[in-house]
Formats: sequence, structure tokens, C-alpha cells
Amino acid sequence: MNWLNNLLDKAAPHFQPEGRLRRWYPLFEAADSFVMGSNRRTSTAPHIRDSMDLKRIMVLVVMALLPCVFMALWNTGYQANSALAGLGISTPPGWRGALMAHIGCDPQNFWSNILHGGLYFLPVYLVSLTVGGLWECVFNIIRGHEMSEAFLVTSLLFALILPPAIPLWQVAVGISFGVVFAKEVFGGVGRNFMNPALAARAFVFFAYPAQMSGDLVWTAVDGLSRATPLTTLAAATHGSNAVNALNITWMQAFMGVIPGSMGETSTLACLLGAVFLLITGVASWRIMLAMLSGGAAMTVGFQLMGSAVNPMFAVPFHWHLVLGGFAFGLVFMATDPVSAPHTQAGQWIYGLLIGALAILIRVANPAFPEGVMLAILLGNVFAPLFDYFVLAANIRRRKLRYGG
Amino acid sequence: MSESKRELIFSPILNRNPIALLVLGICSALAVTGQLATAFVMSVCVMAVTACSSLIISLVRKRIPSTVRIGVQIMIIATLVILIDQILKAYFFSLSKQLSIYVGLIITNCIVMGRAEGFAMSNPPLASFLDGIGNGLGYGFVLMFTAFIRELLGSGTLFGYQILPLTVNGGWYERNGLLLLPASAFFIIALLIWLLRSMYPEQQEKD
Amino acid sequence: MAVKESNIKPFYTALILAFVCSFLVAAASVGLRPLQIKNSRLDQHKNILRAAGLYKKGMAVDKLFASAVEPRIIDIATGRFVPERKIDPAIFNQRAAAIDPERSRALPRSIDQAGLQRLEKYSLVYLIKKNGRLSRIVFPIRGKGLWSTMYGYLALGADLNTVIGITFYENGETPGLGAEVANPAWQAGWRGKKIYRAGRVDFQVVKGGVQVKGPAALHEVDGITGATLTSNGVNNLLHFWFGKYGFKPFIDRLRQKLKRPPEVKNNV
Repeated sequence: MNWLNNLLDKAAPHFQPEGRLRRWYPLFEAADSFVMGSNRRTSTAPHIRDSMDLKRIMVLVVMALLPCVFMALWNTGYQANSALAGLGISTPPGWRGALMAHIGCDPQNFWSNILHGGLYFLPVYLVSLTVGGLWECVFNIIRGHEMSEAFLVTSLLFALILPPAIPLWQVAVGISFGVVFAKEVFGGVGRNFMNPALAARAFVFFAYPAQMSGDLVWTAVDGLSRATPLTTLAAATHGSNAVNALNITWMQAFMGVIPGSMGETSTLACLLGAVFLLITGVASWRIMLAMLSGGAAMTVGFQLMGSAVNPMFAVPFHWHLVLGGFAFGLVFMATDPVSAPHTQAGQWIYGLLIGALAILIRVANPAFPEGVMLAILLGNVFAPLFDYFVLAANIRRRKLRYGG
Repeated sequence: MSESKRELIFSPILNRNPIALLVLGICSALAVTGQLATAFVMSVCVMAVTACSSLIISLVRKRIPSTVRIGVQIMIIATLVILIDQILKAYFFSLSKQLSIYVGLIITNCIVMGRAEGFAMSNPPLASFLDGIGNGLGYGFVLMFTAFIRELLGSGTLFGYQILPLTVNGGWYERNGLLLLPASAFFIIALLIWLLRSMYPEQQEKD
Repeated sequence: MAVKESNIKPFYTALILAFVCSFLVAAASVGLRPLQIKNSRLDQHKNILRAAGLYKKGMAVDKLFASAVEPRIIDIATGRFVPERKIDPAIFNQRAAAIDPERSRALPRSIDQAGLQRLEKYSLVYLIKKNGRLSRIVFPIRGKGLWSTMYGYLALGADLNTVIGITFYENGETPGLGAEVANPAWQAGWRGKKIYRAGRVDFQVVKGGVQVKGPAALHEVDGITGATLTSNGVNNLLHFWFGKYGFKPFIDRLRQKLKRPPEVKNNV
């Protein structure tokens, strides 16, 4: 490794403020710190109060996402393969079909599922990574900032919360909006008050609603219309037990063998990620627990209230947890260290608010079957306010105590 | 305050734009910018009201007791707005239907009041009139800019003429549903403000 | 600023201004009123003709409407025509009637499919004749979508079953999604569809598009992509207005009346 270090050290002066290549410093710095690590400290959020730095957090988050990535590959392929098997088609048309013809689309075949899922997930991820990275580069070069690993997480998160059959250009438009409007306009990494991946998802959701809230995108087979379990629930006819309208078991939903956004179907994978993030201390257990409690309390409230016309009222919480993006949002989105509150009391209120809002939007709003995305974005907006009030209350209390 | 006539008319467009610099009149800028046609009519109406009200208020400024001056200003502005609303309803029915309550709401547009109180009360009639025209143009510029983007990318049309054939009607362009929603104007106005403040750094607010 | 703040004198200016302003406003309101009423009527006629498939851009709406369209009032419950001397169709305001407790009734929830809450006693219908014979008939329809009440017209052919056209002239649905009810391209899909089968409403707005083929496809129309709840609203309002609490009594009665001559022939 020495030669590489020497090379980088030798090249470094050219990128310094008075060097010939100073404009390209962000790119150099990214390469340098990626292979050699950095000795700088952060000056803006996220602040971590121990030996960790931003780079290690981001790498840990990516590792925590691996089970979800695995499910994104396998389940996307499995859903597509079993749908094809159900239709009696051996290989789908198009370039993916041509590739899949070599291995066959068999839902029982593990590698066939992984490969078929990969043919959908990887292009989405690559577009998200490239376009997001491009914007990041443009802004960092203009501003002379350093490249940050945060966008690796953003682009992966964004790819994971998209449906498999989304057109790739919509991925590009979405991540552009997310990076530019949710992050760069506020000054780049650490200054964004919203999660850029979620903002990108919200943009795509509102900009192309006919696709994103329709039934055509959830299974990776062209033109196949298949609702997500959550949509099915929302459309269920009146009945005391709407869950019966689903033709899946709770265990299937927990494992994630259901149609949905690529990386968020499996609660088990999210749980593994959560354990990892909690052990490594990257994510706040307070936010996770608070969001869980908020959601549970809201669900119980709706059950007690009851409704003759809205079957969603009666859905029990253990179902809410395993459907849609609740678990994924809880583990990876709400706990984003940049856009969540930093004070402990603030984190409790924030988590409770998001959990309650997510269920409220799911149950009571007729237009959006999923509420987690909107709830977390709203929580992000309130996060600085919570921090402000908690700090102000603290200051007041201390003043009283010490008679300031 | 001695500005040349040119400055009175043109500086509110980029340099001292009432929407971009003072962020006034946002409400109607969100509501009527789905289409260029409505944005255009709205701009003309606001320009007419601002110019005429500034002119009238400047003419009578020395005779208005300062205790009731706000009331008098509102009375003059409201009269002009109602007149315009009635005329639109009588002669441009379909446009007035699309603009619905927003023409009436010009009364509450802060730009009109702001120019009346901030400029016309202390300047001669001609300068006030030109200042009204200028601020109307500044408002119109932001509206047209926003409406251009929203109509082109949201509906694939400009002034109602199909530019980008939509997929719902068998074309290739997938329209952007977000731009059909009024809230999207926030993003476009934000972009414009960003652009203007990079062009004119003196517009940037200090922390 | 004002010269001198003496007691009452400066207020004369304000007073005079107030008089001038009120005069102007009153004059504009009174003077332009006939024109405005004419405009809004013209707009309504245009929508009716559009539903009936007779509207072309730039045509003389007034002339065609006066010559071809005969507005009539019907009693919704009995399905009978109401004579013109009792209620003049030219001045009957159906939307006002629908919220007037004297001229409407509250709908119980069990039958209020379209979410109307109150149903007026009388309704306008527009008979369109060709060579003295009924060729089309236009019905006003309305009902709740996702966010708003949608107002429109639906025109049936002389068989009182085939759809000639549908329009929605007012709605507050989501732009780009539910608001597509106003899109002529979607409305065109209704042409030639049939509402009744064997004397009952048999019609569905289908989510994801019509799948069936053959004659059954005549009783279905494509839903709006991504706007399931608005599509359901259209479906519900259609079922309500062409069901037994809506225009069905009138349509049945009219059908009998139109059929009578051939029936007599058959009996002979």
C-alpha cells in the first residue's frame, strides 16, 4: 500500500488551494480518504460523540442494509418468476428475457431469482448512484467541498424504496430532485433537514402518481397488474377483519415474500439491520422505540374507535408493522442522524409523531395507501423545532435551578 | 428618491423583484400558474391595479388624513379590483372562471398595498404610476416564468397548444403530476430566487 | 403625508372618495350583470351540447340550443314531466333547489350512493329532437369523487340506453389524476356504451381498463389510471342517477311512451 500512499501524497500539492488542479480537489479528496482514511473532524451535523467519523457511519449503514439488498434481489426475482410461472410464460420479452433464457425463470431456483431480481435492482441502483453522484460532484466542485460517502447511502436507500418496474428515467429525475432540492440547496451534506432519499421518493410519487400508485409497477413483469398487500387492504370491502382479504400469511409478510418496493418488503431483513445498527450504536434506539409505540398507540386508538365503512380501522398493529414501508422507514429512514433531532427528549417526540402519523395517513386518508414516507418527511420538518424546544426548556430549568 | 423613469419600470423585474426579493404575493403566484393563459391575465390585472391604485393614491396623497390612510388605500384598491373582476366576468368568462376567486384576492396582494403605502404616498403621480407598472411587470415576470415551466412540463402545452405529446393521449411525454399541483410553484420560485441571488449577490440575506 | 390633522375637514376627501368608489362598484355590478348571466348560461349550454356530441368550436351555441334543445322539468320520483307554467325551465336553478329544504329531501345514507346528502324534487332534462322525433336526451349528473362533488351531463340516445357522451364541467379532483374526468380523451371512451340490461343498471367503471370482450364490454368503461377513488365516484354517481331513486322512473315512463306505437302494431 505504500506506493499508493506515496502517489497520493505526491499528488496532493496540486490539489491544494494554490495547486494547478485545485478545482478537482473534491475528487482527489474522495479518492484519498476512501483508500487511506481521513484525519479531519466534522464541523456540522451529523455529530457523533465517540471515536466514529461520518465515513464509518456510512459504511456501517451500508452494511446494515445488506439483508435488505439481498431481499431486494431475491424477492424481486422471486415475485417476477412466480408471476411468470403463473401466467405460463417461460421467459419474458426484452433484454432481460434474453439473458434469463440461459438460466430459466424458475421461482424454485435460488440463483434464477437472484439473477432476475438483479436485472431489475441493479440498473435502478446504478442510475441512482451515477446521477446522484454526478450532482454531488457538480456541487462539490463549484463549492470546493469534499465528496462525502453520505451519497452512497442516499442512492442505495433510494433504490431500495422504489418499485421494481419503475422506468429508469424516473429514477434519474427523482434522485436529481432529492440531491439538489433536499440537500444541495441547503448547503450539502449535514445541512439538509430532510432525508434526500425520501424527498426523492416523494417527488417521484407526486410527479408520476399514475405509475407510482398504480398496480403495474410492483411486480417486475411488463404490463402485469398486481396490487401490493397494502393497496389490497385499503380497497377491501367492508368487513370486521380486512386482513382476510389478503391471500398471504403474516409470516410471508414478515419474511417479505410479497410484492412491494424492492428493499422494504421484508421486516426480517429490516430487523437484522436494526440489530446491527443498534449494536454498533449508529442509530438511535429511542427513535425506533418511540416510532413503534406511536404506531401501536394510534392503531389501538383506531381499533377502539371502529368504523363501519373503513376496513383499515380494524387492522391490528402486527400487520401494520409487516406491510409497506413501516419497518424499513423505522429502521433506516427515521433514524437518519442528519435529519432526526439530536436531543433525547426530541427523539422521543419525533418518533412518536412519525409512528402515529404514519398509521393515521394509512388508515384515514383515502388517497395514499402508504403513509410512512410522508410521516417521516413531516417528522424531519419538525425535528429542528423539537430540538429547539428541548434546549430552551433545558436552559430555563437550569436557570431556575442555579438562579441564573 | 430620485430614480429615472427607466429604473422605476425595469429595476423591479430582476433587481428588486417584489416576489423574489421580498417574497410578496406568493399566494396567487402558486394558484394561477398552472397555465400561461391564466398567469398572463393575472399579471395584467395585478399590473393594472398596482399602477392605477398607485396613481390615484399619489394624486390624493396630500389630502388623505394619515389616521385613515390605510382604509382609504384599501377602498381604492378594492374598487379597482372589483371593477376588473366584473369586467372579466362579463367579457372574458372562461378565463375568469379559471381564475375563480384569485382576481378578487388581488385586494389582499401585498404588492399592491406595499407599493401604495411604501411608494405612492410619498411620490408624485407619474413616478407612482410607473412604479406600479414596474412592480406589476416584476410580478408578471415571476408568474410567467413559473407558469412556463409548470405548463410545459406539467401539461405538455404552452398557452394551450400541445408542445409535448402526452402519453395519456398516445404521445411520448410522461407529464409531471407534481407540477400540476400548486405547491410545485414553491420549487420553481425557489429556483428563480436562487438564480437571481447568484446574479445579484447584494440580494443575499446576511446571517 | 397629510398636511394638517385638524378635526373633521380632511375627512371630506375620504368621504368623497368613498362615494365615488361605491358608485363605480354599483354601476359596474348592475351594468354588467346581464352580460354575466348570459355568459354563464352560454357556458352551461355549451356543456350540454358537448355531452350531446353537437358542439363544435366556434359555433353559434345560442342559435343551435334554441332551435334543437328543449329543456324540460321532470319530477324525479314519479318520472313525469312538470308543466312549464308550474316551473319555468329557463329560470329553474337545480343546484339551488338541491340545497333548499323546501324543494329537496335528505337522502338516507343507505341509498345515497353518490354522496349527495340532499336530492332535489325536480330536475332539468334536455330533449334534443331531430325532424320532430326525440334523438338524444341530456341528464344533469353529479356526485362525490375523492375530494369534491363532480358536476356533469350525460347524454343518452333515442333508445334511452346508449351513451352519446358525458362531460364533467366542474370538479375539484387531483390535477393530473382524478381531474382527468374532464379529459375529452377519457370521455370519448364512453360513447356507444350501454347503461341498462334487462331493465336494470348494468354498468361498471373498471379499474385497470376493460378486460372483457364482446357485448359485455359495452357495459364497462375504463377507469382513470391512478385515480381509483374518483373512478369509483363516477361509477357510484352513475348507478345512483340512473337507478330507481334517480332518472329511472322517468326513463321507464318515456320508454313506454315511445314504444307505444310499435306495440300496438304487434298486438294487431
